[in-house]
Amino acid sequence: MQRRTFLQGLGAAAMLGSLPLTSRFAFATTATPVSVDSLPKLEGDLTLYLGRGEGGLYENVLDAIKKRNPKLNLQIRRGGTAALANTIVAESKAGVRRADLFWAVDTGSVGMVTDQGLGQALPDDLTAQLKPGFQYPKWSPVTGRVRTLPYNTERITADQIPDNIMALADSDLSIGWAPAYASFQSFVTAMRILEGEKATADWLRGVNRHAKKYAGELGVVMGVERGEVDMGFANHYYTLRLKSGKPDANVDLAYTNNDAGCLVNASGIIALSEGDLPVNFIRYLLTQEVQSYLASEAYEIPLVNQVAQPDGLPSLDTITPPDMDLRKLADLRPTLNLMRKVGVL
Amino acid sequence: MRKFPAPYPLAFIIAVLAILPVGVLFSLASDSAELFDTHNLRVLGNTMALMILTIIGAVLIGVPLALFTAYVQLPFKRVWLILLAAPLALPSYIGAFAMYFSFGRGGEIENLLGIPTPPVDGLWGAALVMSLYTYPFVMMTTRASLLSLDGSLINAARLLGQSLWGSLWRVVLPRVLNSIAAGALLAALYALSDFGTPAIMGLDTFTRVIFVEYNAFGLSQAAMLSLQLMVIVALVLFLESRIGGAGERPGKHLMLWPARWQYSLMLLASLPVVLLSVVLPLAIFLVWLVREGTGGFEMSYAWNSAYASLLAAVVAVICAIPVAHAALAGKAGRLMERITYFGFGVPGIVMGTALVYLGLQLPFLYQTLALLVVAYVLRFIPLAVGSVRTTAENLDASLVKAARVLGASPREAFMRITLPLTLRGMVAGAALVFLEAMRELPATLMLGPTGFETLATYLWRVYEAGYFGRAAVPGLFLVLLSGLGLILMLSGERKAEFTISEDSRR
Repeated sequence: MQRRTFLQGLGAAAMLGSLPLTSRFAFATTATPVSVDSLPKLEGDLTLYLGRGEGGLYENVLDAIKKRNPKLNLQIRRGGTAALANTIVAESKAGVRRADLFWAVDTGSVGMVTDQGLGQALPDDLTAQLKPGFQYPKWSPVTGRVRTLPYNTERITADQIPDNIMALADSDLSIGWAPAYASFQSFVTAMRILEGEKATADWLRGVNRHAKKYAGELGVVMGVERGEVDMGFANHYYTLRLKSGKPDANVDLAYTNNDAGCLVNASGIIALSEGDLPVNFIRYLLTQEVQSYLASEAYEIPLVNQVAQPDGLPSLDTITPPDMDLRKLADLRPTLNLMRKVGVL
Repeated sequence: MRKFPAPYPLAFIIAVLAILPVGVLFSLASDSAELFDTHNLRVLGNTMALMILTIIGAVLIGVPLALFTAYVQLPFKRVWLILLAAPLALPSYIGAFAMYFSFGRGGEIENLLGIPTPPVDGLWGAALVMSLYTYPFVMMTTRASLLSLDGSLINAARLLGQSLWGSLWRVVLPRVLNSIAAGALLAALYALSDFGTPAIMGLDTFTRVIFVEYNAFGLSQAAMLSLQLMVIVALVLFLESRIGGAGERPGKHLMLWPARWQYSLMLLASLPVVLLSVVLPLAIFLVWLVREGTGGFEMSYAWNSAYASLLAAVVAVICAIPVAHAALAGKAGRLMERITYFGFGVPGIVMGTALVYLGLQLPFLYQTLALLVVAYVLRFIPLAVGSVRTTAENLDASLVKAARVLGASPREAFMRITLPLTLRGMVAGAALVFLEAMRELPATLMLGPTGFETLATYLWRVYEAGYFGRAAVPGLFLVLLSGLGLILMLSGERKAEFTISEDSRR
């Protein structure tokens, strides 16, 4: 995925001028998002590999789809996104296909599967619903997220935070992080690709000296808000979710500049088997209802045209994500080895 | 007359099936590039450290409690004994889960009571949890041996001027060393093969790294690690087989009658063990249940668990019958029985790895309930074989002979005499397999069909997502099941271990 187009695309969702030339359906972007009412009913057996754990809001979306389509027999296999991507690849090598759909929470895992030629082509009218820069022939992005630095507004100010992620290793700020968390590991993978193994190992060691470990990134943001640490590393939506429940929360977002610290990632879905049913299922995820639900409840960034982005996301023109091919994020194993070697995992 | 006893062919097939997973691992590992690297060395170090610390912890807790429960006379003795043995029935990942979320900054204990506690994780956390759930192995083996000792030797030592502690140390403990070692090795075996506890505590032992490799679908690397782990397991099993039983003639049983304050003090000292291993998980799950309700939980998880486990129990007993009877029929049969015992030493994560690979080769089995049931059966068949064999052993052989003399065919004699009389053992064996399968975690995670959520896998998913409040219902279910397992142990085959004294054994 082309990074910068992503956020610029978000900022100028309806602006036709920013459309990539590759899109043959550029002018379809003015169309209003599809409503679930106009979609065909889903019928039959469908197996979804879902790269997300229990309790996520994705589960609510899936429940709603199941409720709407009583004749749909949806089986869900849950697991780590990278693990499921590996499973799908191994299954296809063994000549076994079990999943009809794969919903991954990061683009790296999507890349792993589509690189093997396992994604089915999606119809043009489906991809045309997506924002410019997010239209792919073999998979469909669902929502986006940005890496951020949540900080405690009582303890520090934004200008105390360096705008270079690498400089944080030597800062005297206390930092909260969740090394076991998949999004964090994707971020470390990005750093490894952008800055190299050694710099990343040094960075991990440096931060580890003044870091406090949390189980997940929601925990990180809560720790920052409680003032246990000055700042942390987390996806943008945790902070927004916290602030929506507690408007006077002592937490705000800072961004680094053009490095792994403000990496942009998207969740995506791939149709692995032929036929209309998987494609029509994907259409449900791209409806006005689902997209705005994920935006308003989960604070994820909707990627369908003309769906309003979540409240509280700061001005996007100021963010400069790094220039990298996100499919490389699939290369997770060296990252895990590195993190273990340094002793943060 | 046949050349070989009737149950042999079937028993032979089952024995071959039992070692099949190891064969699969060998073929899988043979195309692995890395035999051993530095990371591997660290994993080996962690695994050994955890094993040794578990042995130390289990012995330090288990031996004093064995002395206490064997020799000290106190009110409600049986209740205390059951309570102290209870952790044996609980899967340690339940304890690891509860402790991980209770201790440390922001843990439940700090949230509820405002008392800051150090976090329980890493090597020391894993060793603590392991010790708390494996000490009953040491306690039970040591206690059984203590009960069989002749108490008059202590009296002699006391008459010759030894203090009570001195005589316990110099006269009693040396004679039960074998039993302590046997219990310690069981604890070591548990520590080696357990997956949930090191995984939750974040300690890179073999089982955890195998799971990471499996998730990255480095199946051949996972197989290589599995084989390395199996070597250690085999070593422990070998050591265990070398330990002889105590060959002492039983004599007068020793009994101590301490004052009330003395035994109260002793009970108080043993209380933290029970508090941490049984009360804490129970309390935490109840707190979560009250606070978060039953959200996210579906009864189908419990049904799935029960369904798969029931299938496993039935299949295991059916397979166990020929094996048990073969074991009684002759030497070759005993060897076959020994081979099926192999599965019990195979850690669940290793079994899972082997069968996932097998499934990919045989697509009609991949991600099916059948393959999961096969995994359960291979792992837990020794429990069924043991139960069936014990009752079959006690069967009076002349009954079968009488039936044959009266004209019954071997088949009829089996159906009408042997089977009804050994039914009790079969039911007990099935129940043991059922309960073990209900709590099994790693193989279920790897082999379960899509959408097939069980109590254990749901608990794991909750842990991974960090929505620990949702662990309440599955956690309580698992504790409840473990309670049932304990009752079964108390009333069934292992009843003898829970007797109060040597006298009441008769």
